[in-house]
Amino acid sequence: MLFKLSARNIVFFRSLFNPCGLHLGPFLPKSPPLRAETRMTPRPELDPALAPPFPVAALNILRNPQLRKNVAHATDIIQAKRARLVAEKKDWQQLRSAASEIRAHVLENLGAYLEKFEDRCIAAGGIVHWAADAAEARQIILDILREEKADEVIKIKTMTSAEIQLNPFLEAAGVRTYETDLAEIILQLGNDEPSHIVVPALHVNRSQVRDIFARTMGLPNLSDDPHALADAARNYLRRKFLDIPTAISGANFLIAETGAVAIVESEGNGRMCLTLPRTLITLAGIEKVVPRFRDLEVMLQVLARSATGERMNPYNSLWTGVTAGDGPQRFHVILLDNGRSSILTRPVERQTLKCIRCAACMNACPVYRQTGGHAYGSVYPGPIGAILTPQLTQMHHAQSLPYASSLCGACYEVCPVKINIPEVLIDLRAQVTDQERRRLNRFLDPIYLGMKIANFLFSRAWLFHAAQSFGRIGLAIFTGKDGWIHALPGLGAKWTQTRDLRGLPSQTFHSWWDDRAREAK
Amino acid sequence: MTAKIPSRRAILDRIRIATQPTADNPVLLAGAYAILPRTYIRTGHLSAEARIALMIERLREFDAEVVETSPESLPAAIAAQLVASGKHTFVAPPGLPPEWLAPGLDWKIDKGLPTSEIERAEGVVTAAFCAVADSGTIILHHSIAEGRRVLTLLPDWHLCILRSSQIVETLPEYFDRCPQPPALVTTISGPSATADIEMTRIKGVHGPRFLHVILVRDQGGQPIVH
Repeated sequence: MLFKLSARNIVFFRSLFNPCGLHLGPFLPKSPPLRAETRMTPRPELDPALAPPFPVAALNILRNPQLRKNVAHATDIIQAKRARLVAEKKDWQQLRSAASEIRAHVLENLGAYLEKFEDRCIAAGGIVHWAADAAEARQIILDILREEKADEVIKIKTMTSAEIQLNPFLEAAGVRTYETDLAEIILQLGNDEPSHIVVPALHVNRSQVRDIFARTMGLPNLSDDPHALADAARNYLRRKFLDIPTAISGANFLIAETGAVAIVESEGNGRMCLTLPRTLITLAGIEKVVPRFRDLEVMLQVLARSATGERMNPYNSLWTGVTAGDGPQRFHVILLDNGRSSILTRPVERQTLKCIRCAACMNACPVYRQTGGHAYGSVYPGPIGAILTPQLTQMHHAQSLPYASSLCGACYEVCPVKINIPEVLIDLRAQVTDQERRRLNRFLDPIYLGMKIANFLFSRAWLFHAAQSFGRIGLAIFTGKDGWIHALPGLGAKWTQTRDLRGLPSQTFHSWWDDRAREAK
Repeated sequence: MTAKIPSRRAILDRIRIATQPTADNPVLLAGAYAILPRTYIRTGHLSAEARIALMIERLREFDAEVVETSPESLPAAIAAQLVASGKHTFVAPPGLPPEWLAPGLDWKIDKGLPTSEIERAEGVVTAAFCAVADSGTIILHHSIAEGRRVLTLLPDWHLCILRSSQIVETLPEYFDRCPQPPALVTTISGPSATADIEMTRIKGVHGPRFLHVILVRDQGGQPIVH
């Protein structure tokens, strides 16, 4: 035996024989493989620096039938609605092309457009901050809140704030955060994490929501009717909207031409947070800018259809700095880099930043639809998360994510801004492999050793033939009458647990050819 | 005012190194923007009647109540809607025509009303800037006849007066009607909704739960819905 049958190697082999080709490379987990009954924390880890590799996290979830059912149900519905509305849109491909080109143009000229946005936003009464990383963004927000003497803040759903782990930071600093999006309330009160960027609680079903609300809102008689649950959330939040004078939002689009910010939403909690407070703090990734107001004629059309399968989502809000007598009178924008500018430097990967966060890729992804979002160990799950997360960490973490795909291309097909996700995945895999190649401990990596041995065998015909003969004899006792191997012992079981293996044929092509030649004589 | 100059410089420098230096030439930038492909449908092809019928159909799909009327009978139509709502306290933006304020009801005109007063109102009546038939979207620019943003947000019942000449077919046609980009925009496509719980569409979470539209025929033609 070349290597010990340790837990690490078992995890490694499980990943090697994974149907989606999700190999772990050298990212061997620090702990033995998890079993369903030993699920450690109820709260999934979405910090890429701490999250387990994808195959380990996914395995845990694959054993949770309720969660898989919830995810399949939700993604099926959104997919069907999206498909119907895209089919009726005669100029869908033209809209996609325009959206893609607008976003690519912005990224090529990002510096100029950001400066223009900053200039116009300041002229309209806004205050613009720049944050190089998550820590700086968090500190800027806390400083503003201290200045406002705010010990409570209401929030619109913003994945960017989840990316910088804002809520735990603010809570630790003594600021109470109230999420106001229905899904985010479910997660916040249920001590859970988002598993989707548009419908963050799609892994939770109505009876689970009922239990969370009944427990945390003190409503023991609450029914599990979604209407009753939404009413409970409305009542829970109504006073918060009216009383808490500080709000935090993300941004869907920053308009360079005017310095305006646009928010796309459904429930009206966004409008509440954008209208009622005295002070509004908007956190936006630097890539969110579009050149002109007019560009929304493309972006809004593709976003609504792709995200929720609607011709238009119930509400869009756009505001420009501060308007006297209408809405917040103090307005801050924080432009967040946090790894984005480094993505710009690579021509293939740059397209990652075209993303408008519609989540169509995850709804379409055969891997996401099985595992849900938590397996990705990031607030950005699914195909876009698989390319965005490792790049945001500058390839220091989440290196297993580029392998969390079968490269089927469904994500590219539905992407409204034509991000060629498979192309980026392959490029990132190359980067991961390059990292591995520089590691000294590759000599301990079973894949590396296995490939070396294979290389040795395959380059010597007599050894190759010998290996085939031994293999045929060895496997014959496991091969059934139907010619298939249904169960293998030891490491091989990792393959046969989930699929059958074709038994070796009684004769190789070479020996058949030799026999044929001999008979001909 | 811009805070944290060092990070600003560092981020912009990193972006500049990664992208084309020509981005800073405004002429080249405008040129590159101008040639972006825009082959999507910009203008609709429906007749005026079909466009209005589509708008009504879309609004009804959202469970919005729609009635049609002529300019002359608009005040009566508004009064009928208000009475039928069973509500008594209404807020209105300051620029609403006085004849729209049906007598016998408790009207609060928003000349800087405190939020608590607006919240206590049972309904709100406003005009609109534009409507897009393709998606059934009503667009507010928050003029004095459309009201501050808070006005169409807190009351649970919203009656919107829409003139047929304000209805366009496609979203790009709305942008055609904005020679200057507006400072404030709210687009409304049906009442507040969520599908966060098992993708079940639930009407009314935080915004108004009831949207009523009176469509005023100001381009001739007879009401097609009675």
